[in-house]
Amino acid sequence: MSVKYIPVQWNPNKYVYDAVMLAAVAAFLWFFMFVSPDLLAHDRPITGQIRTARAFGACAFFMLTVILCIGPLARLDARFLPLLYNRRHFGVMAFFIALTHAYAILGWYFSFTPIETYEALLSTNTSFDRVRGFPFEILGLFALLCLGVLALTSHDFWMKFLTPPIWKALHFLIYAAYAAVIGHVALGVLQDGHATGLTVAFGLSGALVIALHLAAVMKDRRAGDPAASIAQDGWEVACHADQVEEGFGKVAVLSTGERVAVFRQEGKLSAISNACSHQNGPLGEGRIIDCLVTCPWHGFQYNVTNGRSPEPFTETVPTYDLRIDGAKVLIRSEPNPPGTYVEPVAATPANKDTV
Amino acid sequence: MSDKEDPFFVGYLPAPKSLRWFLAGVSLLLILAFPLFSWAVSVTQEDPGPSGYRFDFGRQTLTGTITLAPYPTLHVTEGSELVAAGETILLAGVGKFGVANRVSDFDGALATLQGIILDRGDLRMLQVAGGRRGVMAAEGEAPTLDIEPLGRWRLSGEICDGKCLAGAMRPGTGIGHRACAQLCLVGEVPPVFVASEPINGHEFFLIGTADGAPIGRDLIDFVGLYVEAEGEISLRGGMPVLIIDPETVESL
Ligand code: FES
Repeated sequence: MSVKYIPVQWNPNKYVYDAVMLAAVAAFLWFFMFVSPDLLAHDRPITGQIRTARAFGACAFFMLTVILCIGPLARLDARFLPLLYNRRHFGVMAFFIALTHAYAILGWYFSFTPIETYEALLSTNTSFDRVRGFPFEILGLFALLCLGVLALTSHDFWMKFLTPPIWKALHFLIYAAYAAVIGHVALGVLQDGHATGLTVAFGLSGALVIALHLAAVMKDRRAGDPAASIAQDGWEVACHADQVEEGFGKVAVLSTGERVAVFRQEGKLSAISNACSHQNGPLGEGRIIDCLVTCPWHGFQYNVTNGRSPEPFTETVPTYDLRIDGAKVLIRSEPNPPGTYVEPVAATPANKDTV
Repeated sequence: MSDKEDPFFVGYLPAPKSLRWFLAGVSLLLILAFPLFSWAVSVTQEDPGPSGYRFDFGRQTLTGTITLAPYPTLHVTEGSELVAAGETILLAGVGKFGVANRVSDFDGALATLQGIILDRGDLRMLQVAGGRRGVMAAEGEAPTLDIEPLGRWRLSGEICDGKCLAGAMRPGTGIGHRACAQLCLVGEVPPVFVASEPINGHEFFLIGTADGAPIGRDLIDFVGLYVEAEGEISLRGGMPVLIIDPETVESL
């Protein structure tokens, strides 16, 4: 959480995260550039600049694949959530790796020419009507621009500035970028039909990304949040009181389409929006730590009675009026403005050890 | 609701003990998966073939007859350890440039050229050095070139730029290299047709047009593709030349 914008709020977990990522990327590049030439043992080896371009291009592709796998993996198994925590660093790094690939290509294939480099890139191959021979470089350029926009706007400052919904929508560009990279590789190097390893690794990567996304969607369909049922005018039954355990949340989808998270703290129930004001993380899947609801994605915290982050932070989420009818927890369909205090409601304890 | 038994990770707090081994395992997996992917992609790269700059022979000084059309060539009369007298070699400049403007005064005349040789099988090219010593007039009678017509042929293969093909880039052919080859041809580096089946024992053919002008955009669009084309083939001072009929070129 932030009150003041600084480039990166470092903590030990971020150091470990970045160290693992850098080690993995360094191992990739080191193997490609310094080990593989000896293993290949060509009489006249692949030109160094081309090898460098290939190494960085393949590495950027694999990084994007891993980045896209993290989201669905975390949906399928919460133990992967720590990978989500600092994913933006992974993304920014992927941009720089892709940028190096682009520079290596521009500085080699599109240089030493009678035409200026960028003009050459855009004007040399214009066979947009061909599959084989398509100017696949343009797709790579598009993907690089997307990654650049994502990297530039990755800081929380931009999320605040653009508002979380717009920021989130913008960051779906990662899928456009990945699709463009798939086209870039499939219409480019794979057309020559002799990059066996790349073809296999590329196919498996794409298949993995698709399979994990499908599995996550199916899991959400199977075990998604239950819908609330309309009780009386303006009120809906979200759950039963004994379903809400001390320190945990229970989510329901209201008739408005919004998700509400009902929490129990010190035996009493409160309801807040399920969407974290940071990046819409699912607060109902968080925990109450030190009397504050803690988001499972990046750890933003909120007071469950008023939806406010503790001082000096300023984030707020909407709260909901709630009352108890027998065992049922009733929620008013319309949320209160973010940060509105609602008196917690005493309810049957979920289990005996929470009293 | 999240499962009560699941460990709960908060980024700015120490990771829960029960998660640490899992995260260590995932980290190790990532650190291994990256070089594994790298291995799969890098060790299966195709051999770019027996082409390249012959820096091992140093700067060459060659004298011979210059022919401008269809692209500048040198029919060697005084060779070197690497290039024998009687051979005909292609000429190009440094970078993606031809040398037509530098040798234009010598069509059919003798000149002494300096530069570095690139070769691939029986395809040879001199990358003419910059500066005055790159191209110098030479004394003597220029022998006329023998031209041996081999008739009209339909051949399949790839249109490349002769310089990258000869090893300025390894690999210097194919789709990945298409735009680079197109830029070379825009810069009037001699184009070469690589035939998929040798014709009279020749695999590489210098491409020219009937009017002797450099090839145009209509042919440059076919670079790097697998194509079929028809044209007149001849040996000019021993160098295989294809005078291509642009109308007949089609990609397969
Ligand atoms: S803390 Fe980032 S989404 Fe909640």
